[in-house]
Amino acid sequence: MDKVKSAFRSFGLFFAEFGEAVVKGDLWTKLTLVWMGAGYLGRRQYIKALIMTLFQAAVIYFSCTFAVEYLADFATLGTVQQESVFNVVTMQNEFNDYDNSFLILLGSVISLVVWVGFFFAWIFNVKCVWRIERQAKLGKHVNNFREDLRGYINERFYVTLLTVPVAGVVIFTIVPLIIMIFVAFTNYDQNHMPPSALFDWVGLNNFISLFGGSGLTVSFSYAFVRILIWTLIWSFFATLTCYFGGILLSLLINGKRTMGKKLWRALFMVTVAVPQFVSLLLVRNFFADNGIVNTILNNIGVIGALRDLGVISNTYIPFLSSPGWAHVMILIINIWVGVPYQMLIATGVLMNLPTDQIESASIDGANKWQVFRHITMPYVLNVTGPALVTDFVKNINNFNVIYLLTESVYTTTNQTMANSQAKEVDLLVTWLFRLTQDNYNYKMASVIGIVIFIICAVFTLVCFNRINRKEGEYA
Amino acid sequence: MKKLLALILALVMALSLAACGGGGTSADGAGDTSGDTTSDTGDTGDAGDTGDAATGDQSTISLRLWGAEEDQTLLAELVEGFKAQYADYANFDIQIGTESESSAKDTVLTDIEAAADVYAFASDQLTDLVNAGALQAIDENMSQALEAYAGKSLDDIKAANVEASVEAASKDGTMYAFPMGAGNNYFLYYDSSVVSAEQAQSWDGLLEAAAAAGKQVGMTFNSGWYNASFFLGAGFTVGLNADGSTAIDWNGTSATSISGVDVVKGMIGIASNDAFMPIADGDISNQIAAGGLCAVISGTWDASAAQAAFGDGYAATKLPTYTCGDQQVQMGCYSGFKLIGVNAYSQNAGWATLLAEYLTNEQAQIARFGARQLAPTNLVASADETVAADVANAASAAQDAYGAIQNVGGNYWDPTASFGAMIAQGELSADDDAAIQAALDSLVEGVTAPIA
Amino acid sequence: MKRKYVDIAVRHIALILLAAIWLVPILWLVVTSFSAYDGRNTSQFFPAEWSLHQYTNLVLHPDTVANFPAWFKNTLMIACGNCVISSIFVLMVAYAFSCMRFKGRRGLQNLSVIVNLFPGVLSMIAIYFVLRTFGLTNSHFGLLLVYCGSSGLGYLIAKGFFDTVPRGLLEAAKIDGASEARCFFQVVIPLSRPIIVYTVINAFLAPWMDFVFAKMILNAGVSADWTVAIGLYNMLERSLINSYFGQFCAGGVLISIPISILFIIMQKFYVEGVTGGAVKG
Repeated sequence: MDKVKSAFRSFGLFFAEFGEAVVKGDLWTKLTLVWMGAGYLGRRQYIKALIMTLFQAAVIYFSCTFAVEYLADFATLGTVQQESVFNVVTMQNEFNDYDNSFLILLGSVISLVVWVGFFFAWIFNVKCVWRIERQAKLGKHVNNFREDLRGYINERFYVTLLTVPVAGVVIFTIVPLIIMIFVAFTNYDQNHMPPSALFDWVGLNNFISLFGGSGLTVSFSYAFVRILIWTLIWSFFATLTCYFGGILLSLLINGKRTMGKKLWRALFMVTVAVPQFVSLLLVRNFFADNGIVNTILNNIGVIGALRDLGVISNTYIPFLSSPGWAHVMILIINIWVGVPYQMLIATGVLMNLPTDQIESASIDGANKWQVFRHITMPYVLNVTGPALVTDFVKNINNFNVIYLLTESVYTTTNQTMANSQAKEVDLLVTWLFRLTQDNYNYKMASVIGIVIFIICAVFTLVCFNRINRKEGEYA
Repeated sequence: MKKLLALILALVMALSLAACGGGGTSADGAGDTSGDTTSDTGDTGDAGDTGDAATGDQSTISLRLWGAEEDQTLLAELVEGFKAQYADYANFDIQIGTESESSAKDTVLTDIEAAADVYAFASDQLTDLVNAGALQAIDENMSQALEAYAGKSLDDIKAANVEASVEAASKDGTMYAFPMGAGNNYFLYYDSSVVSAEQAQSWDGLLEAAAAAGKQVGMTFNSGWYNASFFLGAGFTVGLNADGSTAIDWNGTSATSISGVDVVKGMIGIASNDAFMPIADGDISNQIAAGGLCAVISGTWDASAAQAAFGDGYAATKLPTYTCGDQQVQMGCYSGFKLIGVNAYSQNAGWATLLAEYLTNEQAQIARFGARQLAPTNLVASADETVAADVANAASAAQDAYGAIQNVGGNYWDPTASFGAMIAQGELSADDDAAIQAALDSLVEGVTAPIA
Repeated sequence: MKRKYVDIAVRHIALILLAAIWLVPILWLVVTSFSAYDGRNTSQFFPAEWSLHQYTNLVLHPDTVANFPAWFKNTLMIACGNCVISSIFVLMVAYAFSCMRFKGRRGLQNLSVIVNLFPGVLSMIAIYFVLRTFGLTNSHFGLLLVYCGSSGLGYLIAKGFFDTVPRGLLEAAKIDGASEARCFFQVVIPLSRPIIVYTVINAFLAPWMDFVFAKMILNAGVSADWTVAIGLYNMLERSLINSYFGQFCAGGVLISIPISILFIIMQKFYVEGVTGGAVKG
């Protein structure tokens, strides 16, 4: 709660100073409200005045040309359907001046983001001018342009550091995210695909149809629940197995009595070094229904024996093609992929083990298990706990393993799942991906994406709150 | 601190402004299609008017073309031919890219405006492509252009190709692409040293022969493209409704009064036979090469694999009959075709159409048969001796007599694949009529669901 | 004494078994790449006939499906660019969040955590169109921008590492009159070799692994423009797998060798980097 309060307080302070500037500032400061360079001009800071004026001009130009055009259509997402006529004389199609809903959405979001940025810059600017005014009135030194620049490698060095990376994140992560969040409230799907068709706002309809309302596809909510459960089971086991597997393997390799530690480590590292799409696609062929493993098992009679026992009904073991088998195999293959990496981390953690504690415990007669249970594990857990949380979230979104192992291999026999293009082994992300790739169902994909986000956010918040309570601040 | 931020912001905006060409409208995206093609293409129009050689300086038409991997060499040759044929009208700058015919739709629909001007695809994608507005209609206007430059009208082209191929390239009576090849269907390959020609006529015979030789008969069950053959043969249908959803009647009784349940029982009878091998979609050629099969259902693309595996015994014929109730029913199939279409957002739709036409004309089809054994749709080309003599082709053509045009929507595939997998994995019992009927009902419900 | 030997034996046997399990699929990759047969070998583990022709075909005879030399060059260029730019971004962000105190620091960090929770594949289509707005689709530069653009979000581990740099050093430097920039370049960076190695390796590897974004952005169908990941992935297309599986394996081996060597040489730094960062010291 305190955090929220302090956030509001700093927010309030931010605007309070702005209000003060507006009320108490002199003419130049007030003029700054409409002309961003004015305040500097009044203090004879011509370069700053020029820069701010140019900036303002750029934003105005942007608003008049780009933003207005897209935002004007934002409410309707376009009204003019594309039409074209082929002109025999020019041998070209003649298009009408049609609207593209997606580009309207994109342009609008970009404009809004720029405007939000501009809004803050504008407030900052007024405050800055106000500060200069006060300093000047008090007869204090006012920074000139050169001194301001110097600030950017000193107390404001973080601005220099953060600007470009943050701009990158805004353009390539935040803007696309906002767009896709908006898409969840539209009917952007196969029947409404730009540029030839328009899509439109539909409010909460997509959410209603996902959560079992009398939506378009009743099977969606059924598939959603199944996939959600498997997603959670998967992330739980995938995270834990890799985590403990890594610790055990690392204990095994780094034990006092193990010879050739480096060699062992290098051997396991090879699987980390082979790119995942190679190793996973390979393993998929390795365990295919008619693949090499089945052939070998067949030759040595294992398949026959299993068949006699009634474990399998075909002439092969459906490693990756039937539910149950596939679920377990995916977890096992994930161990194969993930453990060496965890082993590396665990190796590093174990190097810093508090050896004095272990020694004194041994002297007190504790056996190995007790040492592991009461000293090693608590230490390791304490140190890597937060990483465990982020790993869990990563596994919820673990696209590669599931997609590469099951795409075009696994066919569901659950008809209700199939009716909403889902499979038992899908995670929410892979389902989402196939909905967009194969069925162009962007609206439902966006809804699912938002749901994934909410799950991850709740989980992370709860866990970090616990951890924070225990040991203060993280991240 | 604000200043630097401001500067960067201004920079970003300047960039975005520059990129948007200073207030370009939302429609100018169409202008991006082929990059640098400038508006001076208007000149060619005059050439079209006179119908003869253009005078003075010629404009350069830029076109991009996507074809399958196995078509690349051939396309390069054909494009040279095209340039030479139309050298009097314009200069061409044609860039050839690789995009497999089976996945062209996915790439095109991601960003139609950035897709190639001319692209090859399999006929089952036509519906989705047309719905998304990604295909240039070959209408009256286009027919005039074709007549003016290529000397063929739309009707000439329709008449020159197999009727079914024209139908597969059309939607609601409008043609949207040019047929490039037939034989995108499936039939039976078999090893005549194991299976006799008579045994190859029915599943019962095939399975018997295979069991006797310790081999297996392979077919893909978990794909709606293959398993529909049982239903189509029994007189069931699949079609498209006006709203784009799929209509399907497999849970009822067919025109030839066979019930869907009986068809499924026939399929279960095959699937439960030890001599039957269900093959994953896409794994067929690999299984042929592995050598455990004496007969397999596949298409012309596997001809060389089958030839290598069966050696002297290599033979092919139409699909077999299967036991349905107390009668033998001939399996049907989807008659698929390979088509070449023009992007509706092409900057030079006219010339793109002429290129597509050129790449699918009689000579091109014969050349393509030589290069990759793709059966022609062109009637003259089909009569060509080498074409007619090909074993796989003959079987494909024989099966086409039982073919149906594939007219399905996006919701067809997952439910039918799932249904086939259920049968192949033995989840349905032949004794349980109610369960079979329920599964069929569920299948129909999934396929007919309104799209999106 | 006897127990000790039993323990040693058990340990090593377990390790040998585990290593065997871990390496069998890799071994299959390697032996298949030396097979004379082009398709998938499903009847026996080792190829019936050994040959080098998968490698010679891949490297010396590029065609429209397999243009490995061009892919390798493209990926290497993108990887180098990414490893410079992304690493710089990550280190800059990590330093700002770890060693500096400013208004909005907390807010920005929380925002970055939130943004990281959204599944990346969701916004693919939007990223594509953002890139198209700048006219950068179908270019390696555009792809590089996508890789670098969001790299700032991956600062957590590097920040964790910087947190372990003794504050006393920074304060001493500042008392001596050093600017923040100087502290960054001359105090923190020299102490951070492990995390730099870790960041650089990760940034270098990303373009070799990604096929989803690359496939979407490089969509002109010109195979010479592709990256290794798209190219190899494409070889497993239904119609191609039986002629190219051998080359796929060969390609996999060829890119794994340099990466393995890189990993094994840099192992020590990598371990220190990742643990220094993941572990709050």
